[in-house]
Amino acid sequence: MKITKKIVNKIEGEASLKIYGEEKVDFVEIEFWQYRGVESYLINRPVMDALVINPRICGICGHSHLFATVKAIENAVNAKVSKKAEILRDITVGLEIVENHIKWFYITLFPTQIKDKKYIFKAGEFAALISKAIALIAGQYPHNSYMVPGGVTSDPTNLEIIKLKDLLNKIYEKYQEKIMDLNLNSEDIELFFENLPKDIGKSINRFLVLGDNLFFKKNGDVNLVKEVENSSLSKNVLYNGEFVEVGPLARNINNENIRKIYNNYKNSIFTRILTRVYEGLLILEYLINKIKEIDICEPSYIKCGMSNSKGIAAVEAPRGSLIHEIEIKNGKIAYYNIIVPTQFNLSSSKDKNKLSAAQSAMINEKKEYIDSIFKCFDICAVCVSH
Amino acid sequence: MNEATIQKIKERLATLKKLPGIGQKSVAEVLEEHGFTRRDFLKWSAAMAVMLGLPTKFSPLIAEAAEVSDRLPVVWLHLAECTGCSESLIRNDSPTIDNILFNFINLQYHDTIMAAAGWQAEENFEEAMEKFAGRFVLCVEGGVPTKDGGEFLTIGPHAETGLEKLKRTADKAAAVISVGTCSSFGGIQAAAPNPTGVKGVYQVINKPVINVPGCPPSAKNIVGTVLYVILFGALPAVDNFNRPKFAYGLRIHDLCERRGHFDAGEFVEEFGDHGAENGFCLYKVGCKGPYTFNNCSRERFNQHTSWPVQAGHGCIGCSEPDFWDSMAPYEEPLANHKFASATVDATADKIGATILVVAGVAIVAHAALSAIKNPKE
Ligand code: SF4
Ligand code: SF4
Repeated sequence: MKITKKIVNKIEGEASLKIYGEEKVDFVEIEFWQYRGVESYLINRPVMDALVINPRICGICGHSHLFATVKAIENAVNAKVSKKAEILRDITVGLEIVENHIKWFYITLFPTQIKDKKYIFKAGEFAALISKAIALIAGQYPHNSYMVPGGVTSDPTNLEIIKLKDLLNKIYEKYQEKIMDLNLNSEDIELFFENLPKDIGKSINRFLVLGDNLFFKKNGDVNLVKEVENSSLSKNVLYNGEFVEVGPLARNINNENIRKIYNNYKNSIFTRILTRVYEGLLILEYLINKIKEIDICEPSYIKCGMSNSKGIAAVEAPRGSLIHEIEIKNGKIAYYNIIVPTQFNLSSSKDKNKLSAAQSAMINEKKEYIDSIFKCFDICAVCVSH
Repeated sequence: MNEATIQKIKERLATLKKLPGIGQKSVAEVLEEHGFTRRDFLKWSAAMAVMLGLPTKFSPLIAEAAEVSDRLPVVWLHLAECTGCSESLIRNDSPTIDNILFNFINLQYHDTIMAAAGWQAEENFEEAMEKFAGRFVLCVEGGVPTKDGGEFLTIGPHAETGLEKLKRTADKAAAVISVGTCSSFGGIQAAAPNPTGVKGVYQVINKPVINVPGCPPSAKNIVGTVLYVILFGALPAVDNFNRPKFAYGLRIHDLCERRGHFDAGEFVEEFGDHGAENGFCLYKVGCKGPYTFNNCSRERFNQHTSWPVQAGHGCIGCSEPDFWDSMAPYEEPLANHKFASATVDATADKIGATILVVAGVAIVAHAALSAIKNPKE
């Protein structure tokens, strides 16, 4: 049988695919060949150092890593957080997801079908506006450490909150005008599918949501997640012994509008892409309402102690459920483990009868579609090589 | 800078102008398309001159240099990193002149934002190597894994290690710019115990490297350095860590908005306290601004919106060599540590040192306490 090796890049790093088959894909293995060792250099450091190191796992979703770190520590030490701090965190984490989706769509995915630099500018325009909104609360974007166990370090003034409301509304309006409207119409998505079938890339149809931030509802228990070695430098991830799909489609599958699309196209590349782009709008809508609940007189931070204990937290990051686990001994980190969404979706199984979401989506499809199908999972090689 | 220098720049720009640009449109046309007038553009060049530490009479030249920026071939390599530097650049101003210029420079190869992908991208890369040998600027993002021959990072269909790819690319480059702390000094993956043996670019190649550290570096420092190279055809003046002086000549502390509180001995003692509410100095909750050379307190981030200290978290010292180890713990004061950079600039050092002594009583007392203090209860 013919085996081709394909390198997929532009995924914030690269993955290598071993593809079996002639015209169509009979089988595919996914490999990541980068490793950085973040978990190892966290060991023995003061707990608070994790807050500064972990955002650097990824320049695209560093905020989600910060959030997961803070929550893992808070779970370990039973910290309390004010509603105000929770909303501020929601805003920056939510905006990071919106920004990710836009950049992913126009910078990563679009070029697999359409080569036109103007879409890069379009993404840049949104990214800049959104980063500005995040920076208002967090100080800088990407990479900051404004969340600490017990709250946040910033104390936005009324004026800043007004500015933020303004920015959120502006982004929301622009989104509807230039990317997708509330009825899920999007010229750019149609353009993308001009020469690409909409019903390819169907996958295992087992959806998992572990985080309960923003408006997402979890449908699983983080303790049932297991990591196992695979043949490359990344690890496979199973939930209750099975491979699952995480990400925007998993967390919005019960949304009324998405259901309609799903009924027609099932869990295909089209549904997956459409949902990711639509989720941006949903998050903005949620944040615009949430920000009204901020009471700036509440404290930003409630002091908490450090105790010898363990904590685990899952949050919904741009690409799906992200898990951080910590063990604290004498104020130091004794153990740290990170499981990223890409590991769930991109696990590489050797067993034809038990495939990961991305493997299953590519198998039986024409080779020419591989790049687009693979990327519709919004892969992040940087996160995987943590 | 005298007339002769200006004359030289003019000649250089005139030669560059004769080279073909990349698109059908000129930089000026693209700017206009994005709603920038000639006046905006001149304002921008004046601001850029100030930031580069050049006299204002240079601003027309900067405008000219920007206009020919599409003549300069740039190759951008990604090694061991988190892509934060590219991210910082992509989302630079909305859509600002820097952003447009970055998208408009003759970027021959950049993994994240180039239009090509897969094999085609590899081909572009090899082609650029041939066609622009000795003429392109190499920007590197990420540290270089060196342990076990560098096998912790392989790139492309032939599984070439990052180390090999960097070496052969650097060999052909006209200038090498390390973008960010990872490529400058190894960065986070080089933190102890450095499991993959990561080093900074300057440690593995035999060529002068200009370091633009920061985690991430501000887009202004990246664009500024590239523009400088276009302008002068040479690397800017640097300190002894090869950082351009125009950006890394002063400490964070020197221009910090909380500096008055530092001098007055008013500190945040812990997050969320009365001092935090009132914007007091963050030294005691770990700010490394007094030991860190960079321009964040002046240039800020994300369209001049804010910077970490403004949001209540201290500077972590991200533009200093080995800061992941030497500046930790990040949320506690450093006490009396001596840093590599503290000897870089004698004047700044003296000023900083004197003030540290003046405000020092409180700090030294605190430092002494924290040195023997047990980990937080
Ligand atoms: S110690 Fe930090 S917060 Fe305080 S004045 Fe210096 S740079 Fe600013
Ligand atoms: S304030 Fe300090 S830590 Fe933050 S980006 Fe600037 S130099 Fe780096």
